[in-house]
Amino acid sequence: MAKIDSELRELLISVTFLLFSFWIILKLTSGAVWDWNGWSVIEPQSYPPCEANRFLQFTCSTAWIGMIETIKIAILATFFGMILSLPMGLLSSRNLFPQYITYPSRALVSACRSLPSLIWAIIFVILVGLGPTAGIMAMTIYTVGYLGKMQYEAIEGMNSAPLEAANAMGLTKAEVSLWVVIPETANHLIAQMIFMFEYNVRSGTVIGIVGAGGIGYYINLYLKFLQYEKVGAYLFIIFMVVMLIDLVSIYLRSFFTDESENNKPTWKGVLFPKNYVKTTHLIEN
Amino acid sequence: MNQTRKAVSAAVRLSNLEVGFQGQTLLHIEDFHVNPGEVLAITGPSGIGKTSLLKTIAGLLRPISGYVQVCGATIPNRPERGSIGYIPQKLGLVRHSSVWANVMLGSRAGNPRSSSRARATSAIEDLGLIEKKNEPVKRLSGGQQRRVATARTLAQRPRLILADEFLSELDDETSERVVKSVLNYVRENDAAMILVEHDISRAREISDRLLVIDDGRLNPFITDTSIMEV
Repeated sequence: MAKIDSELRELLISVTFLLFSFWIILKLTSGAVWDWNGWSVIEPQSYPPCEANRFLQFTCSTAWIGMIETIKIAILATFFGMILSLPMGLLSSRNLFPQYITYPSRALVSACRSLPSLIWAIIFVILVGLGPTAGIMAMTIYTVGYLGKMQYEAIEGMNSAPLEAANAMGLTKAEVSLWVVIPETANHLIAQMIFMFEYNVRSGTVIGIVGAGGIGYYINLYLKFLQYEKVGAYLFIIFMVVMLIDLVSIYLRSFFTDESENNKPTWKGVLFPKNYVKTTHLIEN
Repeated sequence: MNQTRKAVSAAVRLSNLEVGFQGQTLLHIEDFHVNPGEVLAITGPSGIGKTSLLKTIAGLLRPISGYVQVCGATIPNRPERGSIGYIPQKLGLVRHSSVWANVMLGSRAGNPRSSSRARATSAIEDLGLIEKKNEPVKRLSGGQQRRVATARTLAQRPRLILADEFLSELDDETSERVVKSVLNYVRENDAAMILVEHDISRAREISDRLLVIDDGRLNPFITDTSIMEV
């Protein structure tokens, strides 16, 4: 019997594990996920009338509209969060600034992070009313807290030699930040931003429950109507989208490593990391 | 009288200086100066305080006690922007940026700012890096990276160059080219240079004066027997 290629074997194991997970979910939800009535959420809404062609009718569905809104909220929150968190991250770095600057800056970053995005969403719904604006504001604040911390940790972990050379030259803090720190830590900063986008998509599904826009609004709506099969369909869609974004995120982040230029990542490489395959070969041998 | 004039015009003057970490003295210097146009080499075994001394002069490490005057400024005051060109042992290059961006970093720190691009181009040409101008530094070999660090310092036009083993990893031909560029700059601009060098024969060849750190003190290098002691 021919020896099964180890990668194929891993694929079979992964698929089997995935199917088993679905079976468990099916049992736990008493079949609600596979109740086809629930999948009406991907059909176009009766009002307003859908003007898309028949192959794109799904773009008028609540699932599509909600999910796209969640992704839009995540994109804007990540963008604004990155713009605000970068100066905070720089000001919080102890290898760049003295303690009388880093302490207040860190306190502000911690304050943004101390409340979960759901609580920020409730606060902003009260302040600016229902809708995605509150969601964007809430997730921007949380992004500043979370991303700011990751950024100052990356900056503090950078090699000290470029900073020493720049400080000896007499460059200002702004010049050191712009020309040394940001280029030197760019890989980390970009990878963290992509991770934060992925995180915001996930948490963006929750904030809709308190009225801050996105797919969470529809989940909350159908929960109130006790239409659990529709809630199940939404959750399954969220799961699939988050998984897809997770894969894209891993793929994109793999470009921003020191070795990325020599080893351009492939989808196969993301799904089956080479080191892992090599290790299993070694064990086999 | 002559001595007084020297003291005022010295590029670096240290007296009763104690250098070390967390209160522990590595090096004690009673009186030491480097004049403009002079190349001073310091040698000694690893971990004896050579790099700490350079960092103290560069204003990166606070001395335990003593007096440090660099390019007319007394520490903790900083000398004029761009006065000190520092080549750390690990070079201190921005690895993800191009050769040009790294050299421009030094050039922007120097004066006058209006000619920074011309200075950067000239330094890159001098060190034979014109073909690698747009390459990210991380893709260059160790020797090429050392040339970039040297070009960055030359483009800066500093009054004092501090170089920490900046010739290691260079082949003889490149080493000669780098040394020639740096020495030409020092002589033509009346700049001073302090370099830390393990290779004593090379240090003697380059420098006007060679000092040995021994037993926590800076001593003049006198005879060949001292080489063995180091």
